[in-house]
Parts: sequence; C-alpha cells; structure tokens
Amino acid sequence: MDVLLQILVNGLSVGAVYALFALGYTLVFSVLGVINFAHGALFTLGAYLTYLGVGGAVGSNGALAGWALPLALPFPVALLLAGVGCAGANLLVEAVAFRPLRRRHAEPLLYLITSLGAGVVLVNLLQIAFGAEGYALPADALGDLPPMLTLAGARLRSVQLLLLLVCAAVMTVLTLWLERSRGGRALQAVSEDATTARLLGIDSDAMVRLSFALSGLLAGLSGGLVGLSVSIAGPYFGIVYGLKGLGVLVLGGLGSVPGALLGGLVVGLAEAAVPGDLSGLKDAVAFAFLFAILLLRPQGLLGRAPITKV
Amino acid sequence: MPPIPFCLARTLRGGAVVATLLTLVAACSPPARRVSSPPLLGAAVALTGNASAIGQDQRIGLDLAAATIGPAGPGRRLPISLAVEDAGTDEQSASQAFRTLIGRDALAIIGPSLSQQAFAADPVADRAGVPVIGPSNTARGIPEIGPFVLRVSAPVSQVAPLSIARALRNDPGLQRVAVFYAQDDAYSTSETAIFQKALTDRRLKPVSVQRHQFSDTDFQTQVTAVLPLNPQLVVISAGPVDGGNLVRQLRTLGYRGQIVAGNAMNSPNIFPICQQQCDGLLIAQAYSPALAGEANRRFVAAYRQKLGNDTPPQFTAQAYTAAQVAAEALRRLDARRPVRGRPLAEVRRELNSEILAGRYDTPLGPLRFTPDGEVIQEQFGVARVRMEADGRRGRFELLD
Repeated sequence: MDVLLQILVNGLSVGAVYALFALGYTLVFSVLGVINFAHGALFTLGAYLTYLGVGGAVGSNGALAGWALPLALPFPVALLLAGVGCAGANLLVEAVAFRPLRRRHAEPLLYLITSLGAGVVLVNLLQIAFGAEGYALPADALGDLPPMLTLAGARLRSVQLLLLLVCAAVMTVLTLWLERSRGGRALQAVSEDATTARLLGIDSDAMVRLSFALSGLLAGLSGGLVGLSVSIAGPYFGIVYGLKGLGVLVLGGLGSVPGALLGGLVVGLAEAAVPGDLSGLKDAVAFAFLFAILLLRPQGLLGRAPITKV
Repeated sequence: MPPIPFCLARTLRGGAVVATLLTLVAACSPPARRVSSPPLLGAAVALTGNASAIGQDQRIGLDLAAATIGPAGPGRRLPISLAVEDAGTDEQSASQAFRTLIGRDALAIIGPSLSQQAFAADPVADRAGVPVIGPSNTARGIPEIGPFVLRVSAPVSQVAPLSIARALRNDPGLQRVAVFYAQDDAYSTSETAIFQKALTDRRLKPVSVQRHQFSDTDFQTQVTAVLPLNPQLVVISAGPVDGGNLVRQLRTLGYRGQIVAGNAMNSPNIFPICQQQCDGLLIAQAYSPALAGEANRRFVAAYRQKLGNDTPPQFTAQAYTAAQVAAEALRRLDARRPVRGRPLAEVRRELNSEILAGRYDTPLGPLRFTPDGEVIQEQFGVARVRMEADGRRGRFELLD
C-alpha cells in the first residue's frame, strides 16, 4: 500500500509539471494550429529569471559573471515576475517567428523551423549570459516550510506539493477564464474559426498575442517551479521537458486544455510506475505507453476525432 | 636492330602515355601538407549541451595554457597556437569537431570532454594519424582505441576505490550500500562497475542499484525506492548536475548516511546545485589544488590571477595538463629538428612517440605514459566537501 501511494505521489508531482508545460503548448496550438518549439527555451528563461529574482548571482563562466540584482525578492513575487518576463519574451517570439509567416499564410512546417530557431537563439543567449553551470534556488526559498512531508508513509518534498497546488490552481483559473469570461470565449472562438470570429468583431491578432502571452506566462511559472524543485541544470534543461510536454500534448489531445492535464498526469504516473532500478528506462516506458494509447485513440485521450466529409 | 613487333610497340606507347599522365597528375597534385607556423594544437571540448559545465571548466584550463605555455619565452623557443572547437555533448558533434581540427592541420587534439564521445571521435583522429590526449576520459578502454590515443585523466579503476576505502575507515561497520549511476553514459557505467567491484572485494553487496539518465534532474522515484532499505552508504557515478541534484534530493528526503561521489562530481559546479547538502560528500580526486609541487603552485596562481580567489576545478587542471604535455613534447621534438615546414603526417607521428616517451611535471603531479597511452599518475587523494554556512561556497578538504 505504501509503495502504491508513493508511486501515486511521485507520478502526480512529475505529471503536474508536464501538464503545466503542455498547457503552454496547447494554448498556442488551439489558436494557430501550430506548435511553438521555443516553449522549452521560455521555460528555461523562467527558471533563470526566478533565480535572479530571489537574489541569485551569476556564476563565473557567463558574460554576466558575479552579477546579481541588488535586492532579493520573496519566491512567489520572483516567480510571478519571471512569468510576466516570459510572457513578454513569448510576445517577442510571436512577433519575430510567427507573425511574418502568418501574414504570408506560410506552411505550418515553417513555423516549426522559425520557432525552433528562436528557441535555439534564446538558449544560446542564456548560455552566453549565465554560463553553462547549473544553479539552484536557495534552500530557504520556501521560508519555514519543512523540506519534506510524510503522507501515510509516502515521502514528498514540500516543493512538489507546491507544484501540484500551483498546477491545480492555474488549471482551475484558466478553465474558468476560458469558459466564463468574454476574453476566454473570444479566444475559443478564434481557435474554432478565426475568419468567422473576425466577422463577429473579434480582433483575431489580439487573441493570438494573448495566447502567446498566456503560454509564456505558464512557461515562466513552470520553469521557476521546476528550478526550485530540481535546480536549473544549465541552459539546455528545458529541452527534455519540451520533448515530454510534446508527448503529453499529443496524448491528451491536440488543443485540449483538460487533455493537457490528463496527459501530463498519465505520463507522470507511467514514469513513476517504472521500478526504481529500471528507472533509467522510464522515458522508453512513458513513450511506449503513449504509443499504445495513440494506437487505440489516435485523437488523444480527450481530443476530438476529425470529421471527414463523405 | 630488329623491328619492334606491333603489339609490343602498342604496349610501349600505352605505357608511355600512362607514365606521362601519372607524372602530370603527380606534378599537379597538391604538395604533402606541412606544419604551419606557428604550429597548431587543437582542442575539442563540450562548450554547449548538457556536458558544457565540464567543457567550460576545460576551456578555462585551455585558455590559461594558451596564455602561459603557448607563446615563446625563456626556455620556449617555439611559439605554439591553440584552437578550441565546440565538441557539443553528443558523439556526432565531437567527431565533426575532430575532423575540423584535423583539416586545420592541428598536430594533436585535446578532447573530447566525455568518454562517451571519445569512443566515437578518437577513432577519427587515430585513423588520420593525429595524436589525441583525453583530458577527462576515464572510462575503461580509452587508450585501447588506437596507437594515437592517450589520456591524462587517470582511469576510474585507479581513483574510484579510494573513496570506498575511506568511507569504510569512517564507518567500519557499514553493510548496506545503495548504488546510483547514469546508465546512458560510458564514464558512469564504467565507474560504477569499478565501485561495485570495490564493494564486492570488501564483501559489501549493494542493497539496491538505481539507474538514471545523464540528463535527468528528478530522482524522486529512485530515492524513494532506496530509502526504505535503510542504506548506510550511497555511491554515485554521475555528472556534476545530475549528481548534485541526486545528492540534494537524497538529503531532502531524509537520507543521513555517507555519500561517495564519482570523479565527474569532483567539481565546484556541484556547489550551486546541492548547496549546503553537498557538505560531507567523499570524492576521490585525480587533482586537488592542495597537491604539493611547483607546477601546481604556478597553475593555481595563474588561475587565481585570471578568476579571483576560487580554487581551480579538476577538469580545468586536466585540460591545462593535456595542453602542457602536448606543448612540451612538441618543443622537445622541435629542439632536435625544427618542425615548421616539415610534412604534417611525419611530425604528427613523431609527436605521438615523443609524448609517450616523455615525463612531465604537471599540476596533477609527475606524469608519464605506458607505451599504449595510459597515464601513469602518482598522486591521488580523497577529499571531503566542506560547505560554508551560507551554502553557496564550498571547498574540497583533502583527507588522504
């Protein structure tokens, strides 16, 4: 029983990160029908910005060696500001890598290349500025919270619980906003049919920018939280999460917000169920599981099957 | 003179044409490549990718060597230039960086950063007859790749068991050991085999062997699988970032016993990751800034002049040593017969023999090589990590 509970706890905490990550992909995909491959780089940027926000200093290898902000913000404030910074950065990605192609009605494949290029440039800029070394947020970033909690025999780091809670809160707020608010419904209308939405008086371009800003915000928040949980493993650490997030996006159903949540949790649990001494193979197991599900449901767990005109 | 039969005349005419063509081709083909002036040494280390924390340390060592050893000076008649290429963190990038340096007429190549890459890139240089000096390739089988492959990084079989011995001296009664290693990395798999043999030799059977991937940062699954087994010692073979994270999560989730870390974690790059929780780690070292010797004193002074009061990491010292070894051998060769302008292939071959034959006083201590390119190093140590109260700065306190 203890073992099962531990697997559940491990799976949910990892899955929450994947879900948060995939949600960022989902927002852009649902509006534009393309994937923003710079999302992993924004995730990394969010982690670095949070680190700077809490007063972290740049190590000795980067161009900014030794530099730190003159003040150390509380972690929640630093995290929020990092999210806002990433929202701004993603708007820049949209302006540089997406908008020019959108105006020319370019093939979706081209977006893949330009967004990947933007991501690579961003990661390399981070390496130049911060160097290649890893960073970790201060151990006392969560104040007086105990570093570990025990739940009916299962061990859980407090930061993982925080991740779960933030993920649940973000998911709830986002779902409510999408369903209940005027802006959220406008975004959904654009994702259904941009031309019709424009005829109804909705500024489609503004909605696209909004989806990029929200997606960047989510990337920044998840990057900062993961940075707190497992450190910032150099400027490339977003790549691994980017690949996993992509798998989650497909598993949940392209463009589905609840699907991103469910897909993240399923992949997290699949990984956690791999026995510890075989956990080097957890990626293989997670992707094999994903493959098996897609054979049964090609549209993903909560995706809509394409309607074919006959 | 009897007339030449027609068929023979035709054969002779054909032969003459072929001979003329061959002469023309020989005359038109480029001359054999020659050693440039100043002669070039190449280095290919991981400046990008997951292993760039190692490569960036090595870059500092190479830059120091280029500044202090490269120019001509007293006792150094021959100026030597050093070109550094990014070998990335994967095998293909390392092989490509090697090809680039070979194409630039490098006399020898220092690199790559990872043993995993060495198994792919070193054969490229070996086939081209270019000496390779591995600065941080500690896996089993590296010098055996070919006659042009050497290393200054002592094999894990010499270094790793020392820290196990020290952990047992600290706690002679320990019995329950858990082992962690990165299963997709040649160095880690090689080192863990040595660690596990050292444990078996001391009649200690691991209660659990946990595998992960080099790029992993979340070890919740592995750690929570091990802790109920109540290990008294944890032995880790991993890189600085994954290893640092593993230590941090082990401590956060309640592990209080001894931790022995492998050679790749002998780097200050672990300090920002595991912070206060790095304290007490036992690491066998192929280099310590505290090692006695004039060469090390000079190296540490040069490092501090460039980077402030920090102590140089092992990877920096090993990269510097590799460059020093290549430069000293090249200058000895040049003193006997100037190398500039001579055929490149010939000088590369002679340089390989000269490196193997030499003895070197380096920051790692006195070094020489076996005929097949394995380093013979005399000074090793075991250090304990001591973190300062702020959890941001630390040092390696030499124990043995």
